[in-house]
Amino acid sequence: MNLNPIRSNAELASVPSADAAPFKGVSAVDLSELQAAGRAIMRNIETVIDGKHDAVKIALTVLLAEGHLLIEDVPGVGKTMLAKALARSVDCTVGRIQFTPDLLPSDVTGVSVFNQAERRFEFKPGPVFANIVIGDEINRASPKTQSALLESMEERQVTVDGVTYPLALPFTVIATQNPIEMEGTYALPEAQRDRFMARISMGYPDTESELAMLDSRDTNSPLALISAVVSGEDLRNMMHAARAVFASSAVKEYAVNLVRATRDDRDLRLGASPRATLQLIRAAKAQAALSGRDYVLPDDIDSLAVAVLGHRLVPTSRALGHHHQDSGPVIDDIVRRILADTPVPIGSGASARSGAVPSVAQSPVHAVPPRPVSSTGQS
Amino acid sequence: MTSVATKRAPAADSLATPTAARPSGPARRRQGGRDAALWPLALSLLLLLLISCAALGPLLRGSAWWWVCAMVGAVVLIGAALFRRLGLPRAVIPVANSLMLVGAMTLLFAGGTGLFWLIPTSQTIGVFGGLITDGGASIAQQSTPAEVTLGILFLLAGGTGLIAIFMDLLALTLRWPALGAAFALVPLLAPGFVIDDGADIATLVVAAIAFLLLLRVDVYVRRTQAARHPPTGAGAPRAYRPERSRGPGAIGGALMVGALTIVGALILSAVAPSFSAGGLVTARPGGLLFGSGVSPMINLGQDLRRPKAGPAFHYTSTGTEQPYFTLLTLDEVIGLTWTARIDGADTRNTVDDIARPFGLDASVETEEASASVVIDGVNSHWLPAPARATSIDGLSGSWYWDSRTRAIASTTASTLNQKYTVSSLEIKPTADQLRVSGTDYPASVIGNLQLPIDPPPIIEETARQVTAGATSSYDAAIAMQKYLRSSAFTYDTDAPVEDGYDGGGVDVIGAFLKAKRGYCVHFASAMAAMARTLGIPSRVSLGYLPGVKSQDLAQGLGQYNVDSHDLHAWPELYFVGIGWVKFEPTPGRGTVPNYEQTADAGTPTTVPGAPGAPSAPGLSADRLADDSALERQTAVRSTDSAYLLGVVGVSALGLVLLLVPGGARRMLRRTRVRRIRSKDAGGVLAWTELQHTSLDHGIPVPITETPRAFAGRLERLGRLDPASSQALERVLLALERSRFDRSHAWVETLADDLTLVLRALHANASVGIRLRATFAPTSLFAALGTVLRGERRARAMSP
Repeated sequence: MNLNPIRSNAELASVPSADAAPFKGVSAVDLSELQAAGRAIMRNIETVIDGKHDAVKIALTVLLAEGHLLIEDVPGVGKTMLAKALARSVDCTVGRIQFTPDLLPSDVTGVSVFNQAERRFEFKPGPVFANIVIGDEINRASPKTQSALLESMEERQVTVDGVTYPLALPFTVIATQNPIEMEGTYALPEAQRDRFMARISMGYPDTESELAMLDSRDTNSPLALISAVVSGEDLRNMMHAARAVFASSAVKEYAVNLVRATRDDRDLRLGASPRATLQLIRAAKAQAALSGRDYVLPDDIDSLAVAVLGHRLVPTSRALGHHHQDSGPVIDDIVRRILADTPVPIGSGASARSGAVPSVAQSPVHAVPPRPVSSTGQS
Repeated sequence: MTSVATKRAPAADSLATPTAARPSGPARRRQGGRDAALWPLALSLLLLLLISCAALGPLLRGSAWWWVCAMVGAVVLIGAALFRRLGLPRAVIPVANSLMLVGAMTLLFAGGTGLFWLIPTSQTIGVFGGLITDGGASIAQQSTPAEVTLGILFLLAGGTGLIAIFMDLLALTLRWPALGAAFALVPLLAPGFVIDDGADIATLVVAAIAFLLLLRVDVYVRRTQAARHPPTGAGAPRAYRPERSRGPGAIGGALMVGALTIVGALILSAVAPSFSAGGLVTARPGGLLFGSGVSPMINLGQDLRRPKAGPAFHYTSTGTEQPYFTLLTLDEVIGLTWTARIDGADTRNTVDDIARPFGLDASVETEEASASVVIDGVNSHWLPAPARATSIDGLSGSWYWDSRTRAIASTTASTLNQKYTVSSLEIKPTADQLRVSGTDYPASVIGNLQLPIDPPPIIEETARQVTAGATSSYDAAIAMQKYLRSSAFTYDTDAPVEDGYDGGGVDVIGAFLKAKRGYCVHFASAMAAMARTLGIPSRVSLGYLPGVKSQDLAQGLGQYNVDSHDLHAWPELYFVGIGWVKFEPTPGRGTVPNYEQTADAGTPTTVPGAPGAPSAPGLSADRLADDSALERQTAVRSTDSAYLLGVVGVSALGLVLLLVPGGARRMLRRTRVRRIRSKDAGGVLAWTELQHTSLDHGIPVPITETPRAFAGRLERLGRLDPASSQALERVLLALERSRFDRSHAWVETLADDLTLVLRALHANASVGIRLRATFAPTSLFAALGTVLRGERRARAMSP
């Protein structure tokens, strides 16, 4: 289903691409504003996708944390819909690549063509030059083409013919893939999987949501009804604010312990990389910011661990057992087990004592309103 | 996240502290499986306990006590296994076991004073106290093999139960079976300390086999478990396959260990100092050892105090007067104690050829009497025989007679089950003959005049005082006998057992003459010592009183039964031309020799041996009885009040001990709240207190749970009202700020919020939980538990 491109190629060319310094001249965003904006985006998306609060939230978190998102699920549950709705809710450029078996790397990155008039090669940027790049059915393209994304995803730049072109900021790849149908597909290489900050699966909607969907989808695509609620500038400011969220040494220690546990686990052949630790903390910061907190809680780590770590882990064949095809549920169970086994650093640790030293007067009571405890339990 | 939360639930439960709720789900099933496999271990432990209890056999009479011990041990060990099967937390099992033991003891010993026969009441405690006192006294007084009184039985059963509890705790709860089995050494070693032979060798071997069996079963159980649930983690114990490659093989190893043991034992026995007690024990004639039945002086006292007399022997006699049966004669004072001289035990003097008594003048009237003796219970190397035995027939084994004291003994044979006939000479000297006997004593008797270099002066003073006016040795002897039998002295086998007053040492005689209270050993040795100070040769004989007539036989003969209460000691004085003449200074015991009717106002009295019920002839008897009764009553009253005081003291102490954990916990909480208030440490301290209080109230606090998840769980418990729920949120926020934010913010109301939450937690808990939280706060023991369990538990219990 090759939908209309959201922006024309002509528009893509006009993307300001020389913006090397990140977040130049951004103004600080209050966390409560950020939280409000985040809620607005989520509301916007949820008019299209019903009953998938968790998936939407993680998608937004990844966007805010400047990561890339992999949506992996069976066909027809709204993977592409989520990607497009997210892209639409933010007023920024969107590129869309439909991965097909015959797609070439230059179709992703762009190509130098000879300008007859000026008698020189001219670079035509590919769809990757956009703030949000939707890569649909990413596993249908050959590894050669998939690899074209490697540089752009990690280094946020594209090198063609020896010339390096920086990518737009923010830059987020939202890729979808179907894990069930393996005919004619190429599994993502581990290097590429590791570049995605999080993998989510949509799952089937519940009865109520499905009924509501039937009603709303009756006449026209709901996608046409939503529009951007946040400007690109706002989004950059939000990202900046999310980056500034504080992660205490205790929380960092907790994240490191979790990741280290995946490396030692007897059910896992491949554990998580240091990049995973980095991205776990980043995602946790974004989630804390979305909750209106300017510090990360172990709960943030807990709630993100499955999404952030899951797709990077390779189970042993023994742990896989009879799940020959689908390692997802097995991996999720393993991550949850590790979560349940890893002690949370509270109490009178060394850092707790040192944390008590700074003078109290310097930090007035934070402007964060106390939130009900029970509501966060489900987050 | 929801699925994460549900996934955590079993982990949270299984990570619960000892008193927390039972593990649910898979953890519980696994627990059940594991504990089912512990049955073989529990049963082999029980086997070891029963066998080691049997090792006490040589110390005690009968075997009924073993069954009681076995029952108590089985109740404890099997009860513990059942508790485990029911999934009771490990830490609770020793407590439950102790309660079971108390219940069993109440059922067996309280005599129905317990509530439903099982729950001890104050009355039961009284009964138990009495039993303990009784048991302790019985053990102190009796010699082996001891009669098993109810008190001793109580102590045995209680001890067995305690050993079983400790064994179970170490071997099954902590899984240190070898260390747990070490408790079986207690009954195994006890005989070694009490009697020379130690425990029966067969019992020791069987106990060792049971110990090895226990270890083998433990290895088997471990392997089965390991195969069923492979241990995880680096620190997990592994017992998969035995390593065969290195070290000596099984047989080689066993030989090596055996060789090392034997060599070590040889070296140790040569090097280590051996036990050798002084006094009577060393003075035992070479090879002539006392068995467990009869022993000189001190053991004689113990035998007299034995509550139930055991039969010694019975006999029929042809004599007109029933003889005293002499076992041995103590004729020399070495150091301070009376001892039997050993040089007389000459193996050339067989009993087939006993010489005529030495120094007996023909003018003294004698009577030949014979007695047929059947030994029932005496187990000794000394043969009970009337003094001046002339021939003995029917003995099995080699027996010899001592040329000086005429005691009959054997180096190899025992008196047990002997039947023999003794002929003896009864001498009937007249008072005149005794009075005229001179003082030119033969050389062999001169040794019987010796006294220690510095005897207590009271002996000679008393002797001079009593015998003032006596013109002959005989008159002096009669005066001393009369003095000692007077109402000034009280017969009392219990009187001064402590402080070495037992026995007839010369220093003891001094004390006895002051206290004027004692039993035959004291009277006999006192008279003998006093005689020596006056220059009359004397010695002390140990033996049996004539006993009680049990049935009349034909021809005027009677059968007499002698039991262990008839054990006696009496002095003998030497008179030239007559020989050794016995006297009877002990009031209320035996027969006063009838050398001169006028010597003693009372008629000769034969008193059947009944210790503790002394009766003296003559006018003084009533007063004597009155006195002793009065004294006894006062003593009873004073012990009663002391006992009551003890009970009160113990209860007060128990109460205080009961309050200690709760008090400590309360103080800790106060200190924390004060510190929170004083802005010293904020959220973390408040959170720690909240966690500990939750722990106290039976809410598990796994370390793998985030504060927010824990707070959510607390809320879902439904114990918090809206106000305290909001307070909980503020406390949670304070913790998160102080722990995870840049710089922690001081929240002024934190201490109040915390108090509010704690109160709500406490107020809305059930009564049982509140009591537990107040008096036995789990969090206090959690630290200990963490040390014991280590980190392993957190890993092992994960799903």
